Amino acid sequence: MENSRALHAELKQIVGNSGVLPEAESASYIIDGCPPKAVVLPTSVQEIQDILQFAAKQDLSVIPAGAGTKLGIGNLSKKVDIVLSTIHLNSVIEYEPADLTVTVEAGIRLAALQKELAKHRQFLALNPPYAERCTIGGIVATNTSSAFRLRHGTARNQVLGMRVVHADGTVVKSGGKVVKNVAGYDLNKLYIGAFGTLGIITEVALKLSPIPTRQAIVTTEFQDIQNAVNTGLNIVSSQTLPMFVNLFINFDPRHPETPGQGKFMLVAGFGGDPETVAWQSAQSRGIMEQNGGKGVTTIEDEPQQHIQETIQEFSANNGNTERVVVKVNLKRTDIAEFSEHIIGASWTHNVQMMALLGNGVLYLTIPVVSETDFQALSEVLTALRQSALEVQGNLIIERAPPELKRYIDVWGPVGKTLHLMKQVKTKFDADGLLNPGRFIASI
Amino acid sequence: MDQKEQIVADLSTLLGPKNVLTDPTALSVYECDAAPSFKAMPDIVVFADTAEQVSDIVKLANRYGVPFIARGGGTGLSGGMLSVQGGIIIALNRMDRILEIDLENERAVIEPGVVNLLLTQAVQNKGYHYAPDPSSQKACTIGGNIAENSGGPHTLKYGVTSDHVLELEVVLPDGEIVELGGSVEDTIGYDLRGVMIGSEGTFGIVTKAVVRLTRNPQAYQTALAVFETMDDASNAVSTIIGEGIIPAALEMMDSLVIRALEEAFHFGFPLDAEAILIVELDGIEAGMQNQTAQILEIFKQNNARDVSYAKNETERQELWKARKSAFGSFGRLAPNYITQDGVVPRTTLPKVLRRISEISEKYQIPIANVFHAGDGNIHPIVLFNERDADQCERVEHVNKEILTVCAEVGGTITGEHGIGVEKMDYMPLIFSPADLQIMATVKSIFNPTGLCNPGKIFPTAESYAKLGLEHDAVRPV
Repeated sequence: MENSRALHAELKQIVGNSGVLPEAESASYIIDGCPPKAVVLPTSVQEIQDILQFAAKQDLSVIPAGAGTKLGIGNLSKKVDIVLSTIHLNSVIEYEPADLTVTVEAGIRLAALQKELAKHRQFLALNPPYAERCTIGGIVATNTSSAFRLRHGTARNQVLGMRVVHADGTVVKSGGKVVKNVAGYDLNKLYIGAFGTLGIITEVALKLSPIPTRQAIVTTEFQDIQNAVNTGLNIVSSQTLPMFVNLFINFDPRHPETPGQGKFMLVAGFGGDPETVAWQSAQSRGIMEQNGGKGVTTIEDEPQQHIQETIQEFSANNGNTERVVVKVNLKRTDIAEFSEHIIGASWTHNVQMMALLGNGVLYLTIPVVSETDFQALSEVLTALRQSALEVQGNLIIERAPPELKRYIDVWGPVGKTLHLMKQVKTKFDADGLLNPGRFIASI
Repeated sequence: MDQKEQIVADLSTLLGPKNVLTDPTALSVYECDAAPSFKAMPDIVVFADTAEQVSDIVKLANRYGVPFIARGGGTGLSGGMLSVQGGIIIALNRMDRILEIDLENERAVIEPGVVNLLLTQAVQNKGYHYAPDPSSQKACTIGGNIAENSGGPHTLKYGVTSDHVLELEVVLPDGEIVELGGSVEDTIGYDLRGVMIGSEGTFGIVTKAVVRLTRNPQAYQTALAVFETMDDASNAVSTIIGEGIIPAALEMMDSLVIRALEEAFHFGFPLDAEAILIVELDGIEAGMQNQTAQILEIFKQNNARDVSYAKNETERQELWKARKSAFGSFGRLAPNYITQDGVVPRTTLPKVLRRISEISEKYQIPIANVFHAGDGNIHPIVLFNERDADQCERVEHVNKEILTVCAEVGGTITGEHGIGVEKMDYMPLIFSPADLQIMATVKSIFNPTGLCNPGKIFPTAESYAKLGLEHDAVRPV
């Protein structure tokens, strides 16, 4: 306590009184049950550099963050010292709508940015969970997937450039702000998804997309998983251009509160001008009906919007029950067989699943209750991971109580290129100042 | 026996004498790419057939401490495959097998020597194509595209090479064979696949790739519009994008190009026109009429004087023919030309094009413009005669000033051709020494000895001096 007070005082020398978050307000920045010694909110690159220099001198770790919505992703760390949140670096630096690009400070919240862009009928096509709170820097640093990534991909497809402060305080620019750029190495790709282990992202330039004038979703139910997956994949590879084709198990996005036990629900979303959307919805309905889908329904306007928001937030911890969230990456043709491991297994009571069929990405949410046996759960997940690895896939635990993390590596094996990745980390952050111990292979 | 003879003997044992070239006449084919103003003679050229052979060649080169450089179709435009310090060129054209086509997962597994267009042709009748389509797609290889992170007219909507590559098998500069990326979309750890793509052959040699295949659109709508002024045409471009229409392609040609095209091919374009725009929409048939009408309206508002539409595939190919023939017509304008490759924010196009015309005026060097307007990716064609020393000197100034303009408006000095040897002097225009330093450091992870494609990308002390800046060459830490 005494130490923490002294630390806060020293940090206040750098960031001022309002730059250190009072402990009472630091709840979003607790990492695996462990409150950081301090949460700092710098307002300039200079302050970030000073914090890094101070931390290096004091041998304190620095965990880069935005709003803290994804701080749960990672292995247990022995060293949770200073959380550095960019949330006060939150302005739009440059926005020229006719260029269809924007440059922002990393701490701007996605919702705030989308609101600004919507004035010009544009949006950033990255729609991860925690949409109201999460920041651009956080989305990019974690390469968080969106439930609607089928057409626009992830941050790796949409980031044009960034500014990053390295552990030694060096400020580096990668890429640029124009939509095509092959000058020098594409270092953006390294920072995206590096979970803050290579540097602190302070600025991001992004591609934008026009907001579709009309949107519609088509839903149906199946009794048989194989049929549900195949129908979805038929839509993905049809002449329609869906924004998403997602399959839900034990979950009905129209009624998220009611456990949709035993249901396989297929939801396809379309956007564009009215004729295009009408044609695509009709095509999709046709494919669903041909394959025996029950209760095929087209939903538009506000109810449609509402369902989309529910889908976007699927993997967020949005209720009272804590949940383990698992992401599985597969080839799309392996989804049906993999799902068989989940359906009907004894541990899967109340487990819900969302599969992004076109991308081969699966999210599983497993409720945690007082009698949850974490060792047993870790064994189940290890077996599941093995099944994914056998078909060249992988399994990542995106959210879990520390009790589970004691039994299982959240990332899984990296493979033959680990030596290169370790060298990258060493060259960028030799002393392991940034987010130590939580990334792959305890980097 | 001197060292070269020893190396040739070892390579011959490894690959068979037929696959090792040392004869100067044979080697001269490999002294440049498609930017012939830069030349460097390799010592040896070898043909590899497998990843293991590439690895063995690389290990051998390391043993002797000689540079090695991969080469695909030789269609590069920045001298990226030049053996500037001599050494061994590893030709990959024979590794040209399409190993697997998996339409269910929309992907193909290919060797690096597969010619870009041949992959599209292999899947065309199934309704798919390979989206990145550089102008050289009839001759360039996908291995080369990966090295340069190539674009093309349709990258406006579909993205560049990096967006279409899932996994790479790479021979690292020490000979180790590794896989980067994976067969699923999201892999674990740092995105080494992403940083390998566009590293211009300096991080290793790609020997296999898993690439995405894209479903052909249901319908196309292609239109060509003639404008009286460049400003009108550029404003039409910004308006289309600003209105939320993302065409599949949006290409512009200026009056010099129009005249050259007319002289060479007689398309029937008005010779007093200042600019031609070609717009292609693709996607779903329903609704395309509306978008077309919208584009027509934008053309009208921006004073387009003639607009023609392709009513069928033959007419569509006819409209594209003008754009695709452009490079073939420059021979009529001057004995030599350099194609610049800057990218600028779309809204600055009118200003940038005016500046380029002023630069042309100032140095009395004609500059033609044919480019990917939708991306803001300009291709000023600097026309000159290489036998005229005075012209050559003026061309140097022209290049420098054009790239300076691109940098000043917040753009970049290359959108798809790469830095290679051609633009390394200009890197300081857009990157600080610290930015370049970290790139050099990443290079040192993959390529610690520097033997893999040396002398590229990074500015030297002379480069800084040329720009009137003071700094030493950037070296890895």
